[in-house]
Amino acid sequence: MLKQQRKLLQRKKLNETIFNVAKTASFVMVLSYMIVISFPSAPFSILNMKTNNYYVFASILEKQEEQAVKNNLSLSNLLQQGSPYLGNPSSAPITIIDFSDFQCYLCARYVKATEPLINQTYIQTDKVVLVFKHLPNRGFDSMNPAIAAQCTNDQGSFWDFHQLLYKNQKPIDSGWVSKENLKKFAAKIPELDMDKFNSCFDNQKYKSFVEKDVALASSLGFQETPSFVIVNSKDGSNPEILNGAHPFASFKAIIDKKLTEVENSSK
Amino acid sequence: MKSSSSSPTIKSKLLSLFIHLLPSSIRIVFSSILYISLAAAITAGFWIIFNVFEQLLFFWPVWVFYLPEDAIISFILTNISAVLMGILVSMNVYVIKHFKLQISKSSLFSGTGLSILSSTCVSCSSIGFLLISTFGGLGIVVSNFLSIYQIPLRLLSIAILLFALYSVHTRITKDCMVEYNNKSMST
Repeated sequence: MLKQQRKLLQRKKLNETIFNVAKTASFVMVLSYMIVISFPSAPFSILNMKTNNYYVFASILEKQEEQAVKNNLSLSNLLQQGSPYLGNPSSAPITIIDFSDFQCYLCARYVKATEPLINQTYIQTDKVVLVFKHLPNRGFDSMNPAIAAQCTNDQGSFWDFHQLLYKNQKPIDSGWVSKENLKKFAAKIPELDMDKFNSCFDNQKYKSFVEKDVALASSLGFQETPSFVIVNSKDGSNPEILNGAHPFASFKAIIDKKLTEVENSSK
Repeated sequence: MKSSSSSPTIKSKLLSLFIHLLPSSIRIVFSSILYISLAAAITAGFWIIFNVFEQLLFFWPVWVFYLPEDAIISFILTNISAVLMGILVSMNVYVIKHFKLQISKSSLFSGTGLSILSSTCVSCSSIGFLLISTFGGLGIVVSNFLSIYQIPLRLLSIAILLFALYSVHTRITKDCMVEYNNKSMST
């Protein structure tokens, strides 16, 4: 009887300990979660929501859009900077500026699910130009693929390299974007001169270029990848910001609205 | 000859079989429409939260839900978590209301916390930059860990929710309260 009672007591104590540990852990988790969403700069912050017709605590988005105007995001300026682009810059009235990281899982989702539809519907029809900006902030290894991609842009192969990296994406900082692996990826592009690429990449030719892109993203208040600014190509005016891997429907809503505005203003 | 209206149809037979297969605690709690509504509301709430965090549900510039291929497994797991959360919270409310027992808050909140946390970190460690700026290198490590192990974390949160459900089930079916009436005892 005594043994049974002891066993019962021991079990009770063990249960209590487990519950206490779980209680503390859950408290810490819920608290940290609350802290994260109450940060005004957090991507999913409750202070950072925007609705259809009016802003709800959306001062951050307003500031981002003000900053976008200040930064002169006209297409001519972006092309002058040497940013990779897709589309016809001479006739497309709208520009989408995509801030992405090659290690980002949601960027890969956007590239696979949304970008082809944008390309087919708006880029191939000369309505939109897509400009790529680097925001390598997902992991310690994110800088290298950004520099390598910019090196492929020298030879006009940026978008092949871009597709190749997103298609073969592996977990963040797992070594899949080591210098050796990036050279292997580059070697898969038939048109690429590997000597030129290696020289550019080994010398870190575009490190400062990528850092400028990061500074631009920072000035716009972008912390999340992918993030997008959709502007009028001519002067970079009327910026609209999309944070996150939005589906095609979101882009369509903004682009169609902007195209109508451009048409109306040209009449 | 029996009329077709008097004999139970296959549909009602299957329904009664399904109801009998359910654990007794679920049958007791969800016999009331109040708890069914509560569970449905909580499930819907968590479904929205999880899918917003996972960037499948957007409210701006248009209300849109989409399910890309890479998100299917996570979507299934978050749906399970949301349904379990609805059931669990309703059962805990039932326990508080009817049994005046202390509910196992640890089971309830550890499951909830893990579900929310794993869903938050699904979004490509979208809070990564915030963590980086707040905690430096450690932030990257933490956010990477949470984004890489999102599926195991979700499975773990489902396991914890199931454990919490089992704990509530035993409380409903096995525990009892004995109220001593001092007056009647003294007489």
